[in-house]
Amino acid sequence: MQRNIVTVAPSASLFEARDRMREGNVRQIPVTGGDGRLAGILSDRDIRGAVLPGGLVPGFSAEDAEKFLKDTPVGKVMTRKVITATLSDTLEDAIVLMHDFKVNALPVVDRDGKVVGIISRTNVLEAFIDVLGIGEVSSRIEVIVPDKPGTLAQLAAIISSFHVNITSVLATGHVEAGKRANFFRIATLNVAPIKKAIEEAGFEILDPSRYTL
Amino acid sequence: MKRLAFAYHPDYLLHAPPFEHPESPERLLAIVERLRTAGLLDRLIPVTPDYAAEEDILAVHGREYLEKLESACRRGDLTLDAEDTYLNRHSYNVALLSAGGAVAGSKAVAEGAADRAFCAIRPPGHHAGREAGMGFCLMNNVAVAAKYLQARHGVGKVFIVDWDVHHGNGTQSVFLEDPSVFFFSVHEHPTFLYPGTGRRWEIGKGKGEGTTLNAPMAPGAGDDEYRLTFEEMLTPAVERFRPEIILVSAGFDAHRDDPLADIQLSDEGFRFLTRRVAELSDAYCGGRMVAVLEGGYEIGSLTSCIEIHIRELLGE
Ligand SMILES: [Zn+2]
Repeated sequence: MQRNIVTVAPSASLFEARDRMREGNVRQIPVTGGDGRLAGILSDRDIRGAVLPGGLVPGFSAEDAEKFLKDTPVGKVMTRKVITATLSDTLEDAIVLMHDFKVNALPVVDRDGKVVGIISRTNVLEAFIDVLGIGEVSSRIEVIVPDKPGTLAQLAAIISSFHVNITSVLATGHVEAGKRANFFRIATLNVAPIKKAIEEAGFEILDPSRYTL
Repeated sequence: MKRLAFAYHPDYLLHAPPFEHPESPERLLAIVERLRTAGLLDRLIPVTPDYAAEEDILAVHGREYLEKLESACRRGDLTLDAEDTYLNRHSYNVALLSAGGAVAGSKAVAEGAADRAFCAIRPPGHHAGREAGMGFCLMNNVAVAAKYLQARHGVGKVFIVDWDVHHGNGTQSVFLEDPSVFFFSVHEHPTFLYPGTGRRWEIGKGKGEGTTLNAPMAPGAGDDEYRLTFEEMLTPAVERFRPEIILVSAGFDAHRDDPLADIQLSDEGFRFLTRRVAELSDAYCGGRMVAVLEGGYEIGSLTSCIEIHIRELLGE
């Protein structure tokens, strides 16, 4: 979540809101009242949508559009029914909310309804890059394991016996029934002996040539 | 036939692993033995490397990192921060000598004592960045050679071809913003292989935008895919850049027999890679070409590919 957020008052003009969005390099901006509580959310699409009807009138000039933006308060255009995240929601909650309600950003509110941050799709992607360990100097190993408890611990023990750090782990289902796929990112170039030890322990290493990018 | 310099020093064998490790002195021993029995050694111009000069190393690495590395070796540390990168008490000096090997080969070519050079050096270098050794690499040999050629021999534009199966992340980082050194790397896709960089949109930064080019290859790719990549990406890049010399980070771990990766090049594939780069150096930089050894961990394919590589460099 971003804590330094740009907000705008319902009484401010669309023109001012657009400026703030450009300055903050954001595409949606929470609208807050004097008490800091969330009153709505405004997106760049809302602004474009508000200007559009005017644009269809013959003779509507750039100056007319600017005047319209300056004369129209944010409160008239903003979306009032906002999907929000709370401080106790998890990243998983946020992802599901954004997906299920088809929104691009979630203002985060505290117990009093005050806006304390915002989570955007970009923030979610950043979190994924981080969680998957992408960009960390590492090697990836893909292991197919039987779908039963304890296999991940067994694999982690094998890897740790080589004094190598695991930088990320992902465990998912596998196309074959009764099996799961575990993906490890490990901080070493020297993967061959680790792969060998995993195979000797009875696991299957997925040959990356077998699946496409 | 071309005059081919061969940079090698017996002290390269002193950097030896304190535990079982694929990057071992046996690699070089096997290479030299193979060239001897093939009758090739006598046809090469031997050059004896010296320790790389401090200012040449400092052009690539920070003083702080070098001091850290030196004291780690003196203390008897078994590894660097990167646990896969081992040390012994000789490692600092051997790393200087390894960079010195790349310098010696480059010097022979720059001064015209040889047309081309092959530097049989270790430890390898292309993962080493300014402030960190990693991935078996302590100092970035090819980067030191490129900077040396520019500083001491007035070379303007240098082209580096890195065909080691791993992305040359260290070399890329050194020259990321440098428009005078073109870095081209072909390697297994970073999703599947160490170090996890070298994606196709990594093309350099700032003034260096456009002088870095990455060709990630899908696991299982082989001779045909590499051939296509050399024709469609490398050749036009060299034609556009017009380098004065081509350096090669020549790793042989993209061979199908190598255990560290999933690329399926054959011996003939490596013949093609060598020949194509040699042709490009003939066409655009007066034949000047210096290859430095990087990876290659399966002794059989390593030695046979290096024999082929040397024969191609000799222009047999
Ligand atoms: Zn390599």
